[in-house]
Amino acid sequence: MSEHASSLVQQPITDVLDATTVQRIADDVWTALVGDGEVLVPLPVPAPEQTVSAWVQITGPWCGAVVVTCDQPTGVALTECLLRARPPAVIEPEDVDDALGELANVLGGNVKSLLPEPSSLGLPQTGPTPPASRPEDLCRVDAQWRGQSLTITVQGATGAPHAERNEVPQ
Amino acid sequence: MRALVIDDSRAMRRIVGSILEDFGYETRQAGDGRQALDVLEEGYLPDLACVDWNMPVMDGLQFVSAVRSNPAYRSVTLMMVTTESETSQIVRALAAGAHEYMIKPFTADAMRDKLALLGLLPQEVSL
Repeated sequence: MSEHASSLVQQPITDVLDATTVQRIADDVWTALVGDGEVLVPLPVPAPEQTVSAWVQITGPWCGAVVVTCDQPTGVALTECLLRARPPAVIEPEDVDDALGELANVLGGNVKSLLPEPSSLGLPQTGPTPPASRPEDLCRVDAQWRGQSLTITVQGATGAPHAERNEVPQ
Repeated sequence: MRALVIDDSRAMRRIVGSILEDFGYETRQAGDGRQALDVLEEGYLPDLACVDWNMPVMDGLQFVSAVRSNPAYRSVTLMMVTTESETSQIVRALAAGAHEYMIKPFTADAMRDKLALLGLLPQEVSL
């Protein structure tokens, strides 16, 4: 591989962090934002059929996104916690987007701090779960909050250059 | 004491505002730096402004620079409250005129410690 090609190769995220690190970041975020005593339990449960996702993009030597995914009722419950809302609170869809986006933002900021500089963080986005890159460039925490599935992924951008693409064909 | 909480996330504004109100602050909120400048121009002069970094329209760093360039706002203490945790970013914020820096996520205790350092903790709380 030429020196130029090598400089374009994106190091897999799993070379920089692992699921334990992401879980530790999430633990801090849950305590501070979701509430005292609120725990993200690192035990997967069956994923819901319909999900909502929020993510922030990271650009720099590593390009990708930090994505939070759960089902809609879990998103509403998280929003109630972040807004310190007391039932019966009226939670609008934009409130859920905002709350999940802020969770992704804080998770993403802390992930970014572990990546090579200079890296920058985009503004939060919400929508259908964005496609993941290759398995080698993905770090995933499958967890549950209040018994419901919640997934955090740190995933390379689908268009990011990877080692295989830049290798000289044999 | 009065505080202006500037963050594009309503949830985060609520969290920061709630902590400050527990400490006895009267708070107002703004969704970006431009809105926050509008609040100041209306004549609302807070003792403390908690400023997110990454926001649309006008980001936190631009807001800090704008406030610091206006002598009328000299009394406002500026605290960045952000996920930007790299040393280089902290240096940029302090160089632009921020007085203190708080990295998300944070606890109410951490906020209390920062306010105490700044001399902005109401006496009844510090006791």
